[in-house]
Amino acid sequence: MNVLRFVATPRFFLVIIIAALVVIFGAAKPAFFNGPFVIAPLITSISIFTIVGLAQMVVLSVGHMNIAVGQMASFGAMVSGIAFQLFEMPLVVGLLAGLLAGAAIGALTGWIIARTGVNSFIVTLAMSFALIGLVPTVYQWLSPAVAFTAKPDGFDFLGRESFDSVCVLGYCGTDSVPIISIAALITMLLIGYLYTRTRLGRELLVTGSNEKAAKLSGVATGSRIVIVHALSGTLAAFAGFLLAASIGSFTPSIGDEFMLQSFVGPILGGTLLAGGYVSITGTFLGITLALLIRKGLELFGFGIESLNVLLGLILLIALSSDRIRDIRGRRAPRSAAEPPPADQPPADQPAAQRVEGDKEVSR
Amino acid sequence: MRRQFTAFTKSQNLTLAVIIVLGVALLGVTSGGNFFSPVSVRTFFQFLAVPILIGLAQMITISVGQLNLAIGSIGGFAACLAGVMMADLGVPDVLGVLVALAVGAAAGFVNGWLVVVTRINGFIVTLATMTILSGAQYAVVSTRTVSSRNWEFVSGIGRATVLGIPVVFLIAVAVAVLVSLAFNHSVGGRRLLASGDNPHAATLAGISNDRSVIVAHAASGLLCGVAAFISLATLSGVNQSVGGDWLLSSFAAPIIGGVSLTGGSVAILGTTLAASVVRLVDSGRAEFQLAPAWVNFVVGAVVLGTVALGRAREVRDARRAGAARALAPQPVQPTETTGVAQ
Repeated sequence: MNVLRFVATPRFFLVIIIAALVVIFGAAKPAFFNGPFVIAPLITSISIFTIVGLAQMVVLSVGHMNIAVGQMASFGAMVSGIAFQLFEMPLVVGLLAGLLAGAAIGALTGWIIARTGVNSFIVTLAMSFALIGLVPTVYQWLSPAVAFTAKPDGFDFLGRESFDSVCVLGYCGTDSVPIISIAALITMLLIGYLYTRTRLGRELLVTGSNEKAAKLSGVATGSRIVIVHALSGTLAAFAGFLLAASIGSFTPSIGDEFMLQSFVGPILGGTLLAGGYVSITGTFLGITLALLIRKGLELFGFGIESLNVLLGLILLIALSSDRIRDIRGRRAPRSAAEPPPADQPPADQPAAQRVEGDKEVSR
Repeated sequence: MRRQFTAFTKSQNLTLAVIIVLGVALLGVTSGGNFFSPVSVRTFFQFLAVPILIGLAQMITISVGQLNLAIGSIGGFAACLAGVMMADLGVPDVLGVLVALAVGAAAGFVNGWLVVVTRINGFIVTLATMTILSGAQYAVVSTRTVSSRNWEFVSGIGRATVLGIPVVFLIAVAVAVLVSLAFNHSVGGRRLLASGDNPHAATLAGISNDRSVIVAHAASGLLCGVAAFISLATLSGVNQSVGGDWLLSSFAAPIIGGVSLTGGSVAILGTTLAASVVRLVDSGRAEFQLAPAWVNFVVGAVVLGTVALGRAREVRDARRAGAARALAPQPVQPTETTGVAQ
């Protein structure tokens, strides 16, 4: 039964497409299965970008969006970098400082949105540009090389090593799976726990699916919005930190590519833009598909520009097909009817009457 | 009610004008008068044309309740395609300009068409077309810079001045006037505003919202095409980075200029003035030799501030409008809309 239900979801299609692509790439270019040089970097970027996708997914769950996801990542990473470079803090403390910075900037964003009621798109867009201005300036100010290169103990282990350096009783792990994947797994489990098992998670989904109803049933929607943006900032900062760990230094360009990917993952995975529904495995699969295609294009020698074109097209096609399925599903019982534009209320008749009623009142 | 509204817009524009005057005075003093030298004035106006145009392009999509993330990549792709055609294929300059305009309008039309046909959120559609077009832009020029020597006639327009004012700036002003005429005095423009203000009421008044969305996106794309033409005329060459930094200024100008983000309103003068303010910030940045990143920071902060203030004002206005509606039995807006439809 569960299997049957899974077959009907977009996630199932993603799994099939991913499997097909792996087979095609592997058959055409046997070098694709090279563990340390192809598979491990691929898993590293999937791990980092899954967290980026989750950072977007949590705000999508309340029907908001976070354009500043990349800049929050660079901001959090910058704070971690400062902690390591100037204060020589240990790994965990620096990481926590970065996460806190991400949470703070996210909470500020959420607070502005909740307080003013302005569209999250505009607030996060403005925030992203404020941070685009701030972060490189701080880097320039504090570091002559415009990068923080100090590495605390364990930094390289987290970012650049794979399981073959973890040996237990003489048995070592595989060199195709990087350590960083653990971080992504733990994050996915935590976010999954939040949405399926906790009251807060359900309240976020209720807020996303109908804010007014949520408010009327006693959910403090304002504070939920602040919390969810803070969570998004934290996740973004974590992704920024992991990216810095994987490339070995903190630079202002961290997060530059996060924005598009952060939308591609959740949306391909079936998370709704309108809020009220999330899919964590879907986000993971969406990110995996996008990065797999990128790796494939690299292997076949295509430039990054074709990736952009392809990603844009995939986004459009995936969403249109979703839409078509949606409309067909809804229209099936009365297929004879001409499908009216979906964004208008289907009940034209009562609406018209309502307006006429209004006129009478105003007379 | 109406007079109050006009007075309010005027006060917003007045604030912006005062800021511009103060900024100009400040820059004039700190630069020791250099800011008023003919060359400096010409440069200022030359590079004001594009911010005005992209601000208006964004404003048009906002007026129907949509947004256009693809502004920079439409403009960049149009400029690069036209540039490469003029440089490599020997296409005459005039035809090259027409290509830029046509590509812009076509891309905008496709945006609108996709929004209408697929019913996907306009944000995602333009995000996707932004990605596609920036990829296409890179595919067209790759890593090289196509020099403006290949289109002497067009760069001649970029250098030409009338009474010390660059022609490209006058073109931008002319476009602003046309947009203003379209929104204030044409049936099509009023229809866009009606769709943006209340789609359901617009439908009942016989206006096709789908058409409004497509028209708005196409017009927005066309203005991006004009901005691409002006980039070709004023820059020393086009490359992959053209259009890359248009996104924030395109939103900043209408938002600071007083356009409601929910649709249904336009502020052409406000948008133009706000674009000038942003340009002034940029000039000031150059004057004090600060990093370019500062402009982003200042503009981002100003947008946040404006949005917060605007919201406070909206709440107040809504309260007032509620009181006014209670007093006046005949609301102004709906009658006007139906008048247009008949």
